[in-house]
Amino acid sequence: MNYKNIKSVFSKEIVGAIRDKRTLITMIIVPLVFYPLLFIGMGYFNQMGNKKSEEAVSVVAIKGEEFALQLSEYLENQEKIETTTKEDNELSKLKNREIQAIIEIPPKFDIKVKQGEPSRLVLKYDTTEAKSRVAQKRINQAIDEYSKEIVSQRLNDLNLNEKIIHPFALEIENVASSEKVTGTFLGFLLPYLVIMLIFAGAMHTAIDITAGEKERGTIATLLVSQISRLEIVLGKFLSIMMISFSSMVIGLFGISISLLSGNAVAGRGGIEGIKLGMTFNTFLLLFLTLLPLVGLISAILVIVGIFARNVKEASSYITPIYMLTIFLGIISISQGIELSGNMFFVPVLNSSFVFKEILIGKIYWSHIITAFTANLMFAGIALFGATRLFNKEEVLFRS
Amino acid sequence: MIQVEGLTKRFHDNKRGEVIAVNNLKFNCQKGKIYGLLGPNGAGKTTTLRILATMMRPTVGKVKVNGFDVIQEPDEVRKQIGFLSGETGLYDRFTPRETLKFFGRINGMEDKIIDEKMGEIFQALDMENFKDVRVSKLSTGMKQKLSIARCILHDPSVLILDEPTVGLDIITARTVTNYVESFKKQGKCVIYSTHIMREAEKLCDVIGIIHHGKLLAQGTLEELKKHSSLEDLEEIFFELIEQENKTK
Repeated sequence: MNYKNIKSVFSKEIVGAIRDKRTLITMIIVPLVFYPLLFIGMGYFNQMGNKKSEEAVSVVAIKGEEFALQLSEYLENQEKIETTTKEDNELSKLKNREIQAIIEIPPKFDIKVKQGEPSRLVLKYDTTEAKSRVAQKRINQAIDEYSKEIVSQRLNDLNLNEKIIHPFALEIENVASSEKVTGTFLGFLLPYLVIMLIFAGAMHTAIDITAGEKERGTIATLLVSQISRLEIVLGKFLSIMMISFSSMVIGLFGISISLLSGNAVAGRGGIEGIKLGMTFNTFLLLFLTLLPLVGLISAILVIVGIFARNVKEASSYITPIYMLTIFLGIISISQGIELSGNMFFVPVLNSSFVFKEILIGKIYWSHIITAFTANLMFAGIALFGATRLFNKEEVLFRS
Repeated sequence: MIQVEGLTKRFHDNKRGEVIAVNNLKFNCQKGKIYGLLGPNGAGKTTTLRILATMMRPTVGKVKVNGFDVIQEPDEVRKQIGFLSGETGLYDRFTPRETLKFFGRINGMEDKIIDEKMGEIFQALDMENFKDVRVSKLSTGMKQKLSIARCILHDPSVLILDEPTVGLDIITARTVTNYVESFKKQGKCVIYSTHIMREAEKLCDVIGIIHHGKLLAQGTLEELKKHSSLEDLEEIFFELIEQENKTK
């Protein structure tokens, strides 16, 4: 094996990919410009929408006001709640967004409350409407306060101290460090996105330098040169790995910034609350565990690209593989799923879980080593398969 | 030189079943000679040349290039040959200089030698003014010059040319045929496949007429004329094809 030949093919493919505008757009412009703009924009509009809903006065129709005059007055006096009592077709008005909620008061409500008998109120709202959700929250809060006042009054009438119904207080303290909070937030989405980035970043280049070479007839010029098939495959494979890995790193950076800044703009935790809390070594470990996965995906892309007659055929073969990869990656999003030891042998699935574990600061060496070895082994097998295919004339000259 | 003996290539096709692309071919080509493979589309010309260039393996038969066997010593064979076809694509995103550098390197040449050789070729093929322009911006003629340059950069003694003028305009095609003649003068052994009678008449020392994978006749133009009692290569060609179609 001649390393100079591998290097020549590798450099040729990398230069070719860099000169391809499509690579630059998918690798740099989309993650570093488009993603942040998208997320920040989404965060901004989300915040605007929330603010508008919070500021708006909720119009609430009270049905059967005469059965609960005190409660109606209590609600009327609430800030940002406006009550109407003589409405017809309340339900259709709620659906048409003319009002935001309906309270239905049953007959004899006041009398029952006074007599200490149980009674029941019905609150109707539309969960798909932001303003209606806000109204529901406001009414809920107001009624809760009102209910507490009644309880307090009843205790008072019985000459009992309020403490009797509050035997103790519960104080809740969140011990998760901001590092862990950030890690969990990123760990929820990133493993799945990483798999997507590895695949999407390499896909275009991989197809272009395999099936594309067949389509354009340049493959014959390589085959008649004094370079072995193995050297060609290795050069191409390494260049796809390089492109894929770079896309992943750039994409991850872009997405992390986008997610966090988008979230910050949306008002759910500011940038200052973000602490990744990862040492350089952890970062290194994170990328090292992903390396065999990048290798495996690159080798699979080479196999598909060599097997396909042309670019179009390669794209249609890759789509189902991409979907399967995404499916395996998506499993890690599901909260509460823990992989058993043997499942760490399953490529893609293992990497997304190890990635998630490292992000939240849990480093299980057994998982890391199993995932690394399994992916490396599968990558080796796939690469062997790719080289075998490259030696098959019926595959290279399929028409 | 090239020696082909009993060359047969069979392959399986899902629709047609077993296909005999090349059937028991036998021919030789000496140094300083051009051997023309003349045949219609699908005659087996490209398959034959792909076998000579080690891209495909023969099912049966012996093929030797400068004494090296295409199955036993494919690496040695590739050192001897330059391959050019009408379909031989080029990398659009590279300049001629970069293209030649890449192919020089993967053909085991030192950078210094590549630079020297490149200078000579650029001058000889009149490529100086576009050597640093990307291939995507070149005209068909310029591209074909670059293909020729790529093919002869490592100074091969055997040239395998598979319909190198297909799809070219007459001016570019003439540039290519002029170079093919110059290869002959340089003492190279050239295998030239074509379906254009005029090219075969003009260029080839020996012509082999091939149809359905079989070599129907071979010899110099004079020998073919004498044997068939016909005066025109086109007439000879159609006569042979007709006879072959009748026997099928």
